[in-house]
This record gives sequence, C-alpha cells and structure tokens, in this order.
Amino acid sequence: MPAKNYAATRYSGLALINAQNAHSLRPVWTFSTGVLAGHEGQPLVVGETMYVVTPWPNVLYAFDLRQEGYPLRWKYRPDVSSNALGIACCDAVNRGAFYANGQIVYNLLDGHSVAVDARSGRELWKTTTADLGNGETITMAPLVVGERVIVGASGGEFGIYGWLKALDLKTGRTVWTARNLGPDADMLARPDTFKPPYDGGVDVGAKSWANDSWKTGGAPVWGWISYDPQLDLIYYGTGNAAPYDPEVRVGDNKWSASVLARRPGSGELVWAYQFTPHDNWDYDATGAMVLADLLIGGRPVKALVHFDKNGFAYTLDRATGRLLVAAAYAPVTWAKSVDLASGRPVIDPARQTGVSKGKVTGVCPSLEGAVSPSSPPAYSPRTHLFYTSTNNLCMDYGAAHASHLRGTPYVGADTPYHPGPGGNLGAFIAWDAENGRKVWEDKESYPSWSGALVTAGDVAFYGTLDGWFKAVDARSGRLLSKFKVGSGVVGNPIAYRGPDGKEYVAIYAGIGGDWALLAGDTRSDDPTDVRSPADYMKDIARHTSQGGIVWIFGL
Amino acid sequence: MSPAARLALLSCVILGSCAGPAPPPATASNSPPPAIAYEAHVAAGGIAPPGGVLSNPHEADAAVAKGGAQLFTAMNCDGCHGGGGSGWVGPSLADGRWRYGGADAEVFSSIYYGRPKGMPAFGGVLGSEGVWTLVTYIRSLPVPSNVPTESWEQP
Repeated sequence: MPAKNYAATRYSGLALINAQNAHSLRPVWTFSTGVLAGHEGQPLVVGETMYVVTPWPNVLYAFDLRQEGYPLRWKYRPDVSSNALGIACCDAVNRGAFYANGQIVYNLLDGHSVAVDARSGRELWKTTTADLGNGETITMAPLVVGERVIVGASGGEFGIYGWLKALDLKTGRTVWTARNLGPDADMLARPDTFKPPYDGGVDVGAKSWANDSWKTGGAPVWGWISYDPQLDLIYYGTGNAAPYDPEVRVGDNKWSASVLARRPGSGELVWAYQFTPHDNWDYDATGAMVLADLLIGGRPVKALVHFDKNGFAYTLDRATGRLLVAAAYAPVTWAKSVDLASGRPVIDPARQTGVSKGKVTGVCPSLEGAVSPSSPPAYSPRTHLFYTSTNNLCMDYGAAHASHLRGTPYVGADTPYHPGPGGNLGAFIAWDAENGRKVWEDKESYPSWSGALVTAGDVAFYGTLDGWFKAVDARSGRLLSKFKVGSGVVGNPIAYRGPDGKEYVAIYAGIGGDWALLAGDTRSDDPTDVRSPADYMKDIARHTSQGGIVWIFGL
Repeated sequence: MSPAARLALLSCVILGSCAGPAPPPATASNSPPPAIAYEAHVAAGGIAPPGGVLSNPHEADAAVAKGGAQLFTAMNCDGCHGGGGSGWVGPSLADGRWRYGGADAEVFSSIYYGRPKGMPAFGGVLGSEGVWTLVTYIRSLPVPSNVPTESWEQP
C-alpha cells in the first residue's frame, strides 16, 4: 500500500542496507516516465512487479522485476480529460496506487477512480467519483479496507463542499459519501456515536460557519488515510477552509483543517479534532496521520502523530482524539502554543488575517506548510523517532475579496514568501513525538519536499528539491550517501526485496507539485510560458529542471 | 449579499453597464471564409478566425486597464494565472509569449471561448464588454526585457 502499512509508518523491516554499508549504494536502474509534472507519491512493489502511476495523464506502468532491465509487462493509459489540468490548483500530481485482491486501484486527475487487473493490466471498473465542473480533482492515493475503497477530492482553492467516499472494491459502486463539513446528516455524524473530545454540538459542522459559508467551505481530502484494524477506524486530514479571506466565514469552520476518524464500513464519524480553528492561513491538515504505540509520561498510548502545515507536531490518543503532546517543529508565529486542556492554539492576534486587516506580515510558517502534506513522514519502532522533511518559509498575507464562480479558483489572497530564520529554506529532521522535541536536523538549502523512509537497517532516506537522493543514519542524521537524480525530488522513497533476495530502494525524481514553489523557471517544455525565478529562491533552476524518472538503488 | 450579486454589482461598477446579455462578438456570415495564403497555412491557429476581425474598443486605454485589473481578481483569473498574470498553474500572461496569440483579438478569443487544458469560457459570464476590459488589462502588463536568458554566472 502507498504508506507501506495501514499505520502509515513507511518503515521497512529490511536491514540488508544498513548504516555500515549504505555508503556503497549505487543506482541500478532508471526509467523515464515521459511525463514532466511533479512526481509525488511512490512506486508500489507487489511480488515481482513494480507499479508506477504518473502525474496526469495518469499512466500506470507494470515492470517485471524478474528480467534484466525490468521490461514492462504492460502499461495502462486511461482516458482522462485534459480540462483537469486547469482545475488542479497546483500541479497535475498523483500520490500513488493501492493493491488489493488482485487489483491496482488509483485515482485519475479528472475525478475518476479506476481498478486495473494487476496481472493483465485490463481495466476492471471506472467510477466518476469527483465533479470536475465543480472544481474537484483527485490527486490522493486511495486506501482499501476490506471491501471498501476510500477516496477524497482536492479543491480547497475552488470552494468545494469537501467529502470522503467509499466505493465497493469489486464493482466500483459508491457505497457511502460523507461530507467533511456541513450538517450532521451530511457528515454521517450521529449524536450517540459522534464524540469529539473538545468542541461538539448538533450540526457544529454547519453552525461554525457564518452565513452558511460551509456550502463552499472547502475542506478537501488530498493527503493520506491510515487505518487501525483493532479500533476499526480510518483517519484522514481535511484541507483548508475556503476562501482565503476568513472574515467571510466567521466561526471555527469545523471540520476544515482537522483530523476525522470514521468507521470504514459505514462512514460513520466517531471523533474529530481541529488543528487550526478558523483557518486564517491556508493550513491544510491533509498530511499523514501516523499510528504508533508510544509511551506518554510513562503510560502506553495508542497514538496518532501528525506534522501539520501550521508548524506544530501533534500526538493524539487515536481512540478518542484527545491531545497529548503539541510542540512546534519549525518556526511558528501565528500561535504561541497549543493548550492541552482545551486542544486549542493560543493565537497571536497580530497574525490574524482578513480583508479588513490589509497585509499581515511575518506569518510563519508560509501557506506551503512547515512540511507539505504531500511529503509524508516515517516512524521507526527501533529508534522510536519520526522522520520528516520541513520547510523554513514565512509569508505576508493580504486577503482579498473572492467571488465564488463554480469551477474557478475561490482564493483571494496575495501571499509572498520569505525565507525563515537560519539561512536554510528546508531540513530533514528526527522528532521525538513522546516528548515533542527535535532530536537532530539536517539543514537543506531549499524547501524539503520529499517523503521519508526508514528501515530496520537504521537508515533514513529522502530527496531534495535540487535533485539529491540521500541516505542518512537514522540515529544521528549523519549523511551516508547521496546521488544526483536528474530532477528535484518530491516523491517518497520505498524499500523492497527483489526477486534476487537483495534489498533495493526506489524513488521518483521529478520536481513539481506546487507552482509557487517552482516559480515556473524550472520548466523548459513551453516556449510560451517563460517566468522569472521566485524572489525567495532565485537559483533553484540552476540545479534542476522538470522531468519524471524512476530510480532504483542497491548495493 | 450573495457572491453572485456582489459580482454583478462589481461588473456594473467596472463596466458602467448593467444591461442584459452582451451581443455576440463577431457578426455571423454565410459567405465563405477568405482563402488561406501559402505563407499562412503553416501557421495554423495563428491567424484570426474568419467571420470578421475583432477590434478592441478600449485599446490601450489606461483607465479601462485599471478596471480590468480589478476584474482579473474578481473573476478569479489570478487564482490560475497568478497575481499580475505572472503565472501559476496557468501560463504567465506577462512574459510577452502567447500560446494562442497575443493580439487583442486573439486574447479576446481565448477568454471568450476558453482554451484546452482547463481555461474556462468566460464569454457567457462577462459578455463582450467584460472580456475586452480584461484584454485591455492583460495587454497593458509590462513585459520584462530579458525573458529568454537566465544566467547564474558572475558578470
């Protein structure tokens, strides 16, 4: 599955590559995907086949790992609309596929979900899941639990009415649809079973939005879903509240910028916790919810750990949603802290935004997030540490009036970025979620936009925006090896055992995923779209250009 | 006020007209289109469509361009093309380069009828007058002088 396991730890039990020999890592195979957009997500290895989904046009490749040169067994080219390119807010990305029951299941940018026979590449079903005309696209990787395929839509910049759906794995038929905001009936929230740990009440998902603004309130699902089989709960984060001017949606705006726990069978909402009440800063909470059993104050806890865009790392009790630990993992100015008793952030009033406030300066983190939700962390049960990329960017935020025109952006903000303190624009860090503290940090010159992998060999892997793929010692952060992979890395590394019994590590190169990040001068394929560099990052195009490549490394 | 009502009011203010639907941009014609000259036939899409050459009633009018800047934000153009048309998920409109031509009439067609890869057709919402207002703004954007070359060498 996309995150290795239901707990979303991105931890591999393989230890053939370890801190002692990782300096000998070398590339053993590459493949150009023929696609230029940002290569987020990760390859999927099932048995002796590696599956790769590209950004739009969402080609699915199946490589035969038994044969020299890994030739294709087949490739599947879905019928996908090019109109989706203008509806995807930020880039035409795809975050990966899921294997279940002999099927590869994934989503198309234009709002379809497909199941493909894993052996033949034949399309088994195709369901229209999202409404492109309404500003909905799909970039997330689905999660399959039993007979349910769980899917959500992007569109926080288009004022969608955010939702999560379950499709039937065999037929693709939609089984349930749950809204992430709005009245209880739409949210599949029942008073006897919905028990939020802090703020509740009947129809709070509608009443916490002035003037029925929930109807265009966003709260998309473009990140990751995890699952606890014992508790029978799926966990997922919701995106920003729309539009970017918070003054037209007075109230907490529940449950945008939140984590929701639902029953996968029925969709029923069990609890919800909001990281950023009344989101003023585009702080999506769509980053991964990693499930780990931790010791908090000496007490064993079934925990959920989340690195939010808003700069705080949260450790929650995943049975109840109650907050246990919250601490900043990057520079934060919008709030001073998070109050454990109420679960609410202690806001700095000077960083509240809105049309009436004009340009608000010095907001950290930027709306790109202290980590992008598309860059998931990893957790090692050996080191008891979490590993994540981070961004060190701040912003000014000038909210503007926005008009809701169906299928066009519903944004309204001018948000120039600035480098955060310290001189580096990003980092890769190890985090102790039991105590809320950073253990080590490897600084990076550019925002760090890749996911993390950690293995039983105590090696952590990540890629950089200027195109290095790195292996570091999971206990110290010491660099073990690096290789220049041809384009900036925004994908997620995986480890697998090949048919020859050896351990391999795979990663996508292919800068993209966010046009503000890229400035557009890393693009070379369109002579009619020639842009200046971003003023906070003038030389990224000196080191990388667009281009999708699959890399495999081994000893 | 509903967003739609606010938009309508804004349009009235900017366009100075709150009349009904705008007339079609070009006069329909039953006569055959003019023949394509040899020099023109390799430049497919680079010539104005038959049915009349459009002319911008507000060409180079700075006051109209200023209204167009507001309309550019109000119609969410900046959501795709970036503030000041500097480029975002949609292409830059401020680099002097054009996929579908940069003459006023060509920019008009792109906005009025839409383009592939996600550019919506705004003719129905804005009418001719609104589209010309946007065209006037977009054509007023200053084009940087050194677009083709980016250099990191010390001079």
